[in-house]
Amino acid sequence: MPSGGNGVGNGGAGTSGGSQTFKPYRHLKTLEGHTAAISCVKYSNDGNLLASASLDKSMILWSATNYSLIHRYEGHSSGVSDLAWSSDSHYTCSASDDCTLRIWDARAPYECLKVLRGHTNFVFCVNFNPPSNLIVSGSFDETIRIWEVKTGRCVRVIKEAHSMPITSVHFNRDGSLIVSGSHDGSCKIWDAKEGTCLKTLIDDKSPAVSFAKFSPNGKFILVATLDSTLKLSNYATGKFIKVYTGHTNKVFCITSAFSVTNGKYIVSGSEDNCVYLWDLQHKTILQRLQGHTDAVISVTCHPVHNQIASSANHLDRTIRIWKQEDA
Amino acid sequence: MNAPIIDPLQGDFPEVIEEYLEHGVIKCVAFNHRGSLLAAGCADGGCVIFDFETRGIAKELRENDCAAAITSVSWSKYGHRLLVSAADKSLTLWDVSTGEKIARTTLQQTPLHARLNPGLSSPSLCLACPLSSAPMIVDFEIGCTTLLPVSVPEMPDVLAPQQRSKCAESGPPFSPAAACFNKCGDLVYVGNAKGEILIVDYKSVRVLALVPVTGGSAVKNIVFSRNGQYLLTNSHDRTIRIYENLLPGKNVLSSLEELGKNVDGLDGVEKMKTVGSKCLTLFREFQDLVTKMHWKAPCFSGDGEWVVGGSACKGEHKIYIWDRAGHLVKILEGPKEALIDLAWHPVHPVIVSVSLTGLVYIWAKDYTENWSAFAPDFKELEENEEYVEREDEFDLIPETGKVKVSSVNEDEEVDIETVEKDAFSDSDMSVEELRYLPAEPIPDTNEEEQDELKLIEARISASPASEEAGQNGHVADHTSSPLGEEMGETRGKRKRKPSEKAMELQAEKAKSSKASGRTVREKSRASGDQEIDGSVNGVDDDDDDAYF
Repeated sequence: MPSGGNGVGNGGAGTSGGSQTFKPYRHLKTLEGHTAAISCVKYSNDGNLLASASLDKSMILWSATNYSLIHRYEGHSSGVSDLAWSSDSHYTCSASDDCTLRIWDARAPYECLKVLRGHTNFVFCVNFNPPSNLIVSGSFDETIRIWEVKTGRCVRVIKEAHSMPITSVHFNRDGSLIVSGSHDGSCKIWDAKEGTCLKTLIDDKSPAVSFAKFSPNGKFILVATLDSTLKLSNYATGKFIKVYTGHTNKVFCITSAFSVTNGKYIVSGSEDNCVYLWDLQHKTILQRLQGHTDAVISVTCHPVHNQIASSANHLDRTIRIWKQEDA
Repeated sequence: MNAPIIDPLQGDFPEVIEEYLEHGVIKCVAFNHRGSLLAAGCADGGCVIFDFETRGIAKELRENDCAAAITSVSWSKYGHRLLVSAADKSLTLWDVSTGEKIARTTLQQTPLHARLNPGLSSPSLCLACPLSSAPMIVDFEIGCTTLLPVSVPEMPDVLAPQQRSKCAESGPPFSPAAACFNKCGDLVYVGNAKGEILIVDYKSVRVLALVPVTGGSAVKNIVFSRNGQYLLTNSHDRTIRIYENLLPGKNVLSSLEELGKNVDGLDGVEKMKTVGSKCLTLFREFQDLVTKMHWKAPCFSGDGEWVVGGSACKGEHKIYIWDRAGHLVKILEGPKEALIDLAWHPVHPVIVSVSLTGLVYIWAKDYTENWSAFAPDFKELEENEEYVEREDEFDLIPETGKVKVSSVNEDEEVDIETVEKDAFSDSDMSVEELRYLPAEPIPDTNEEEQDELKLIEARISASPASEEAGQNGHVADHTSSPLGEEMGETRGKRKRKPSEKAMELQAEKAKSSKASGRTVREKSRASGDQEIDGSVNGVDDDDDDAYF
């Protein structure tokens, strides 16, 4: 089983007009611990911890410095589809097929602090708002719910948000907007305070939207659709400015990420078992990270170091850590 | 004013009551700099800070030996400190993030109104307006109280004696004078009973200028707009007057000194008046000619575009909104509970009003869905347009004909990281603002389904009391799904009435005999039944669709 890092493609010296040469990512470590497909990995905002959620109903907390296992969270009665970190890196929230969300403490004694009930079908996606006093969740019951972190109260239900399961929800930088993507092919932007729909972004061919998130400054939205395309759209005009292709994404809701620590890249998993890195401006594929033995479902970028963590589906069940070469 | 009412659709001001907050009997409210937190003083001496985004309680400040009603609350500029004045003549300075008391003094009289110096980042200096004596500057660090002059006697020397916590003996007894800091906090504007505005330098306790208010009746409130450009006075003759501030934003003291020097040949009161006329000019007057009511708690909107005044005569709860030009734009009418305090959100078109019963009503715009938001190519038209189709609109064109040219330049550089400077950072960013209090989830005591229902039962019998952090097992804050659903159901206006919900639930509980909502849900799901959560509370009218 090859555990090398560099793949085929434009990896290596991608200097097309850019100010730096691209330094390729190399495989650093493989983490095992889950017994089923891993649906989500995320680094905490302070960069000290890595959390992974899996269909084996558990969530594992890893150290991001030496990648040792810190804690395994058990409690959900069904597979976990998504997880999110609070801004202060103290809490995580997991979304599960048992229709609930759970807030876990990321510090000892690693307790489950709250169970948020209300959804009537699988909860598929979750995110904290930047002040981390609210949680937004999207579900197969086609509603978006906003919860108060402190009391677990459901503050708002956006009913009939979409006409098919909601695959992704994300707050923007100041917590005033929520972007949601759904299998019905639409990507909508909601006012977080009132729950009213502000805008709808649909492309012409409308394939299912598998993932949507705001850029770090909240001006752009990265949308992944199940026709193997990633698009960067200007939220204000609604026009798609950049399109990233080359990977395969037709079945799973694969997460993507912005990598901004050393040059600006878009990182995404793919169903051909690789992790793809594109140059943000030039849309060229900079590298394909090979090593997983099944579709790569989730990727996350370390907030400070040039590291990427990726996780894969059933046949693989591992998390791989990739590190960029130093100068 | 007899001016016509402007079309309310054009305005950026609230229209309806969106929600209300409840926590004991609230007496006064104040927003922090950004409006993310709302501090409310209660009748029992405690102060509670609401997180305005979640509308839940973020923190409670309570001192055990203080049981007197709070008369006013005031935030420091960056939100780190909170000044609370109470009916037992005390002033308490709290540190907001730790919830600890920093300092406390007792004055000779109950302060009706106390404000922290808005110019300093960690102020320990405040202005207090007591019930029946001159406004004073209280310095917590030094521990001294300085009385400010409220009138300019005809004699040349004007200095008020600097005293240590003693009332002024001389002079006739006067009705309460109102005072406020200017935007940078180095001057105090005092409105006295003779109907004059005095501009006072509190450090040297000197009156620098005097502006007579037309009508000469006692000034009850004096308030600056947020940007410091406009000053509002509320007088005993039931008129609100807006003055334009002619002084520059910074280095105000030196400008005033300059003005004072430039006035030749005048002394005493005349000199003050001349200088005063260069500091403030009357801009507008508002009054209700019909009812001639006394205004309560007038203030500006966050951007200074609107002026709002409350009316509590005959026990009503009315809020009048004018634009700065003087036209009455809207009258908001609340429930039949007298209004006692009012505050406009610094950023959003939201007003918060406190009624005599201790409830805080939140007024906001009535949001209607914008239909053009539902499809990307929908456009809103101002009026009906007749659609004229093109010549070839309905022609059958072969596939090779039209190629969509992308008008977007795909090679343009995209910036995903830089953030524009915030419009609200109107001063230097050297001090970090306290915008939010960290939300720590209150741990559930139990996750067993049986216990969950027992908690619901217990909640019904318990009063809808405040949610106190750290108290495990306290039932009031466990919103398990049935209650949670009902709370957030309606998309538009939400009214949280815990007691009503609790009673409904009780009725439901009497009917249903299910021990575990969860197992029922499982069964329902397996058999594909509808009304999954309806089985527990049965009050959901909207969960009618099948989810499979």
